[in-house]
Amino acid sequence: MGALLIDQVTKSFGETQILKGIDIDIQDGEFIILVGPSGCGKSTLMNIIAGLEDATTGRLELAGRDVTDVSPKDRDIAMVFQSYALYPTMNVARNISFGLEMRKVPKEERDRVVQEVATLLQIDHLLDRKPSQLSGGQRQRVAMGRALARSPRVFLFDEPLSNLDAKLRVEMRTEIKKLHKRLGTTIVYVTHDQIEAMTLADRIAVMKDGIVQQLGTPDQIYNDPANMFVAGFMGSPPMNFIEVELENAQAVIESSSERHLLRLPQAESLALQGHSKVILGIRPEMITEPKPEDDPTYLHSIRMDFEVVEPMGADTMAIGHWNGTEVHARLSPKAGLHAGERTEIQVNTALAVIFDKNTGERIR
Amino acid sequence: MASKTQFSAGRALIYAFLLIMALLYLTPLYVMIATSFKDIEEIRSGNLLALPQDPTLYAWIKAWSSACTGSECEGLAPFFMNSVKIVVPAVLLSTIIGALNGYVLAKWRFRGSEVLFGMLLFGCFIPFQVVLLPMARLLAELGLANTVTGLVLVHVVYGLAFTTLFFRNFYVSVPTELVKAAQLDGAGFFAIFRHIFLPVSLPIFVVTIIWQFTQIWNDFLFGVVYSGPGTQPITVALNNLVNTSVGGKEYNVDMAAAVIAALPTLLVYIFAGKYFVRGLTAGAVKG
Repeated sequence: MGALLIDQVTKSFGETQILKGIDIDIQDGEFIILVGPSGCGKSTLMNIIAGLEDATTGRLELAGRDVTDVSPKDRDIAMVFQSYALYPTMNVARNISFGLEMRKVPKEERDRVVQEVATLLQIDHLLDRKPSQLSGGQRQRVAMGRALARSPRVFLFDEPLSNLDAKLRVEMRTEIKKLHKRLGTTIVYVTHDQIEAMTLADRIAVMKDGIVQQLGTPDQIYNDPANMFVAGFMGSPPMNFIEVELENAQAVIESSSERHLLRLPQAESLALQGHSKVILGIRPEMITEPKPEDDPTYLHSIRMDFEVVEPMGADTMAIGHWNGTEVHARLSPKAGLHAGERTEIQVNTALAVIFDKNTGERIR
Repeated sequence: MASKTQFSAGRALIYAFLLIMALLYLTPLYVMIATSFKDIEEIRSGNLLALPQDPTLYAWIKAWSSACTGSECEGLAPFFMNSVKIVVPAVLLSTIIGALNGYVLAKWRFRGSEVLFGMLLFGCFIPFQVVLLPMARLLAELGLANTVTGLVLVHVVYGLAFTTLFFRNFYVSVPTELVKAAQLDGAGFFAIFRHIFLPVSLPIFVVTIIWQFTQIWNDFLFGVVYSGPGTQPITVALNNLVNTSVGGKEYNVDMAAAVIAALPTLLVYIFAGKYFVRGLTAGAVKG
């Protein structure tokens, strides 16, 4: 059964349309991530799910029950806020149990739940402290504890990690993933961090301008993007976009004043559709030092001049040019790369994608 | 770089100036208090600035219990009680309503709430004189003319603009996400006010109460216009006392009466003044 159904939800403030018809069907126990640049409407959508804002049109269904006009407290939804929103005058225990207190749960039951949640999140030694006496990571845990205490049907996370420092963020990310594994609750999670999206999600909804650009598994989003926006949003460094001419359904590139033809997996449809100029999308990890692959069909050996070489430990990033456009390559540090040297590299176009030059939509 | 210990001419000048200004402000108070402890002979013959040679409580006792304020000669005591009866409910009501108003205007925006707030703000700048006649009419219609209740009503209504402004500006700095979190936790309008907002409100309550207490205690115009013979506040009685002369002018009684009338506001400021300054500068607690 579906846990949460978002059906044609729109939101307008006066003339400005923030959400332009969102459709997402979320399964029970699924971890869904809404990701997109700021202003894409993801936080508005989250507030609508929580009931803190009303949708202009459209419908929300929670476990088969229409909740479009149900007040937030009766929706069986809990939320973790970006700022944690802990009640400053209450200690940790009361912060966690406040929702139960408001729902008239008896004291003994509340104490039991607080103890249980605190043990789960390893904050049982902090129960008497005020939020101001906690570190960022501890506040984060308390905020999650407050959501957990009510064991709601759906959890909402609104950029919960963006106020933590880099190291703690990675730690908490793992923690959230473990927690989801363990509890199996449905989670809707908003972030603008593509790594969070890739690592946590069962499915990702990439949003831009109030529209879901693509809804799919991390693998689909990464390897089979619907358009240039999705392709460019995921991955760091991002996918290379190079404007190319087609010759016999092969992409023409010029690298180090040499002309190369790249064979493409979409050759047939490209030939049929009669495109002459398209955008070639190729991820940096597909441009590497020469190495053996099982299927040599889409391997090309070309030479490239790299202007910048950035060793990053596990990989070395290098920047050169094709057709006058900057191209990022991801090589092994063992390749012994030096800036300014002409280097023999291998281009694998097996996962290359082609976009329409005018619309940015994928050509399949 | 000037060193810490350097005592320049400029600094000396500043201190001298400050000292003179302080004396200028304190002299009248000193004269009042000194005179209130002198007897009438000493006032007539002696120096205005001299300390009382033979301090006496005669003037204080008379001002409190037997000085004439018009035809009555019962001192200030009954009027002091009138003022208390007006000030206490008026301060409490205007503060509580102001807190709720401020809470709504800060966190429960509704269509036209900004306009309403603008109009309330405008209410802070309406001079007393403008409301005198319409208010008199209203009190008459309500049957509250010349009553303590009527005066309480006037002060509550007039004070609301200020108290609402104070609380609204304070509550604006309480993060809105706290309200959202509490809503999801199942708290309603009043529960959120009680559990989230009230516990952080002590500084602004102190500020508002001091402000309202001072305003209402010191009010003369509303007091003189809307009170009857038995309901006059102390400021009006003080005026009557000073203007009623039976025989010679008793400056010592006048001075004692004036100090009695001013004492409560003075005490409030002395005891709660530091909270006043702290509350004015304090934002609400961050989550």
